[in-house]
Amino acid sequence: MLGAHNQIACNNIQTLFLQRKISIRPFTSKTRICTAASVISGSSVTHKTWSPLSMEKPLSKALLETDAWKVIPGKFGRFGGKYVPETLITSLKQLENEFNFVLQDTAFQGELSTALREYVGRETPLYFAERLTNHYKDENGEGPEIYLKREDLNHMGAHKINNAIAQVMIAKRMGRKSVVAATGAGQHGVATAAACAKLGLECTVYMGTDDTEKQSSKSNVLLMNLLGAQVKGVNGSFKDASSEAIRGWVGDLERSYYLCGTVVGPHPCPSMVREFQSVIGKETRRQAMEKWGGKPEVLIACVGSGSNALGLFNEFIKDEEVRLIGVEAAGFGLDSGRHSATLSRGEVGVYHGAMTYLLQDEEGQILGPHSIGVGKIFAYFVLKQKHIKSCTYRLEYPGVGPEISFLKDSGRAEFYTATDHEAVDAYKRLCRLEGIFPALEASHALAFLDKLCPTLPNGAKVVVNCSGHGYKDAATVFNYQQQPQ
Amino acid sequence: MAAASSSTTSTAAAKLAPTFTGEPTKCAAFTSSRPSQLLFNSKKFALGPAKLSSIRCIIAKESVAPMETAKKDSDPAKWLRPDSFGRFGKFGGKYVPETLMYALSELESAFHKLATDQEFQDELNGILRDYVGRESPLYFAERLTEHYKRSNGEGPLIYLKREDLNHTGAHKINNAVAQALLAKRLGKKRIIAETGAGQHGVATATVCARFGLQCIIYMGAQDMERQALNVFRMRLLGAEVCYSFYYVRAVHSGTATLKDATSEAIRDWVTNVETTHYILGSVAGPHPYPMMVREFHAVIGKETKKQAMEKWGGKPDVLVACVGGGSNAIGLFHEFINDQDVRLIGVEAAGSGIDTGKHAATLTKGEVGVLHGAMSYLLQDDDGQIVEPHSISAGLDYPGVGPEHSFLKDEGRAEYHSVTDTEALEAFKRLSQLEGIIPALETSHALAYLEQLCPTLPNGTRVVLNCSGRGDKDVQTAIKHLKV
Repeated sequence: MLGAHNQIACNNIQTLFLQRKISIRPFTSKTRICTAASVISGSSVTHKTWSPLSMEKPLSKALLETDAWKVIPGKFGRFGGKYVPETLITSLKQLENEFNFVLQDTAFQGELSTALREYVGRETPLYFAERLTNHYKDENGEGPEIYLKREDLNHMGAHKINNAIAQVMIAKRMGRKSVVAATGAGQHGVATAAACAKLGLECTVYMGTDDTEKQSSKSNVLLMNLLGAQVKGVNGSFKDASSEAIRGWVGDLERSYYLCGTVVGPHPCPSMVREFQSVIGKETRRQAMEKWGGKPEVLIACVGSGSNALGLFNEFIKDEEVRLIGVEAAGFGLDSGRHSATLSRGEVGVYHGAMTYLLQDEEGQILGPHSIGVGKIFAYFVLKQKHIKSCTYRLEYPGVGPEISFLKDSGRAEFYTATDHEAVDAYKRLCRLEGIFPALEASHALAFLDKLCPTLPNGAKVVVNCSGHGYKDAATVFNYQQQPQ
Repeated sequence: MAAASSSTTSTAAAKLAPTFTGEPTKCAAFTSSRPSQLLFNSKKFALGPAKLSSIRCIIAKESVAPMETAKKDSDPAKWLRPDSFGRFGKFGGKYVPETLMYALSELESAFHKLATDQEFQDELNGILRDYVGRESPLYFAERLTEHYKRSNGEGPLIYLKREDLNHTGAHKINNAVAQALLAKRLGKKRIIAETGAGQHGVATATVCARFGLQCIIYMGAQDMERQALNVFRMRLLGAEVCYSFYYVRAVHSGTATLKDATSEAIRDWVTNVETTHYILGSVAGPHPYPMMVREFHAVIGKETKKQAMEKWGGKPDVLVACVGGGSNAIGLFHEFINDQDVRLIGVEAAGSGIDTGKHAATLTKGEVGVLHGAMSYLLQDDDGQIVEPHSISAGLDYPGVGPEHSFLKDEGRAEYHSVTDTEALEAFKRLSQLEGIIPALETSHALAYLEQLCPTLPNGTRVVLNCSGRGDKDVQTAIKHLKV
């Protein structure tokens, strides 16, 4: 069946680029696009309990030291890569060179840290959530200590800006005059628009009309307009927006810069975004040392495509005693078919230029994911998809960053899920107990505390990445409550 | 903050009849709205414009000699801000019913005690750092500075104090958090507040959730309908949102808004004063509130001083802030009031224009009177009735102003100007597009004044503007008016 999938994949790329008569780089034999025979029907792992999925393969020190671990740039074990047409190879190479250069350029790093400090408002606090901690104490008064990494306090209200500001600075450095991005529900679009306004670059954001129509995304469209960005509606959803965005970029490669919002896509995008988000983990390490003289024991983050999770985890990957937990969206439940639990129910394939886990059907078509959480932002050319029209809630990303897939396979990180219902409960809980409105995405991570805390020893230090604020999500929660359950 | 109705004047007069000498009539007392017969005909006591050098308002049993008006070139360091009666010159004071006097004195002594309590200060600083997200940056607005450069490339340097990055997106949390902590120290379990559009209500409910205090927010029935989402947010935070019991009467009078909410809140406080603390959101109200709220917001100015020293080794030359009740402005100014070389500029809302009668420019067009327990400038008509203010921004839509601002204006220490709704909207758009920061409409008023200010400033003047809140809440309003 391998050939059939190759054929489908190639056809899709051809469809996308046919007008330009671009030669397609053939897929190599290393490409393993699986028949996802058991995606919907469920795997052997039950999700009624939260037993760790990937702890069957404990991470060994040997593994950490071998070349499976990030020696080849852009490859994370078998995941990652650069599955792109020839035309884009040069641009991606240019980007990679620029990225490698700025990593060690003190002038750039100085400018970036000033922008992060004064514009974005870093560093964000590591906040001890006292009432939430008390809530999870058992009858003996014992329980873990819960800290929130307050990415919700960033400028524009989410962690997205960390990456957006750094990349717009790179774009300016490269002499580009305009920035192109695609966005799902709008958070990445807003962050990009803000960074472009600050640095004086033109900004075009592509957004699917399915998303622009939704009440919860409308305010993001207004924000982007106010920030001076041009929002181009594209018939369909984010996958169509991504295709258009790519077309827009490819048509103007000299002048425009493609801003990837999350850790997906062809190399160097996952590495770049991870690097710029890793400030979250670096600060956490220092703050943990100041507060309790040690490291956190457990890190929890929500996973759509994985940028905020990798941002928190990256610093601690080599610290094996730190447990890394990612929480995906189970939507209406994993067996409902309406979820975005890529790592729980996905299979390996190539999506958006990278090999990774993704939700696909038996024919290798991407499934339209569902979750109440905000759609994850990313932007690359897209394989043709059969798209399940889901409910009123916004779409999630049907794939996940390749590095996240690697962390799962190697057993370094554990991945669980939380349903819409559990996420909304967690949202309300944090409002009531701490006076913080978490983003609905971050609420998934908070929801997992219900299952996790009873199992942790007294005083275990848990850090949850509060990746964005959910002030606007109150409307979604309100509508959710109105619906018959 | 609410405007009192005519019935409140009579109630106040009725309660204070034994000692009230009846001299000033433009008193709208800080009390409940139970109707009672008019004790005196206000028309007989038409005072002239508020340029009188002294006003006697004798409410308390012992006579209070008015303070001598300080000369304009006197040393600010010598001013008592406030004095032991809670007065800033002739402004301020404690015009409240007898039942509240004890609560206010208790609050004042608790406040003074905690000011020196290291444990309290440490706890408060910890919360400001980890919960609120302080210190907020002093951000050099490069593109905005470029925008104001003249043709020869000269112009001032503009810095924004980023209070919009605080938790809940505005400076209000500084005060709310400190007052909640204070209430907890006092052993109060119940917090009340009133709110118009909902911002102060949400800030109060937020801190109550954080500290586990019972929270009751009073909101006019009409406002509750208009701001259903904010009501939902407050309920999510665990607050109880009550509407005015005088809904029926309010409908007849055409409003069911902030005025009634305030009355209800006051009634609640009078009834439950032992267990309840009233979180006032601005530097208005009876002593000790103006002083307390100022002290809790003074962290803004303290940080600015430190950051300015780090950045350019000096002080700012000009400070600009919007003024509704006046809390964010005082928070920025307070640290620098004794520095005569620092210029202080407050910007009020001129609404549709200060000559249209539809504005909220209290310090420009108001006259001295008593509102909400303090003597200050306020927008009133010839009968001493409060004039309904108008502004596109809810936070500046207040017919009064903090007494300390009235004092600073009269002393000439601070200048107060105003900008229209249109100018504010332009500034809103300008900052969004030049810096990628969406300011609150309130803050936009301060930003709008830069248009008039910058051409007059010499090259390299350092201007610090208080970016008091973020504008996510104002996007719908702005878009409607800007037609972007």
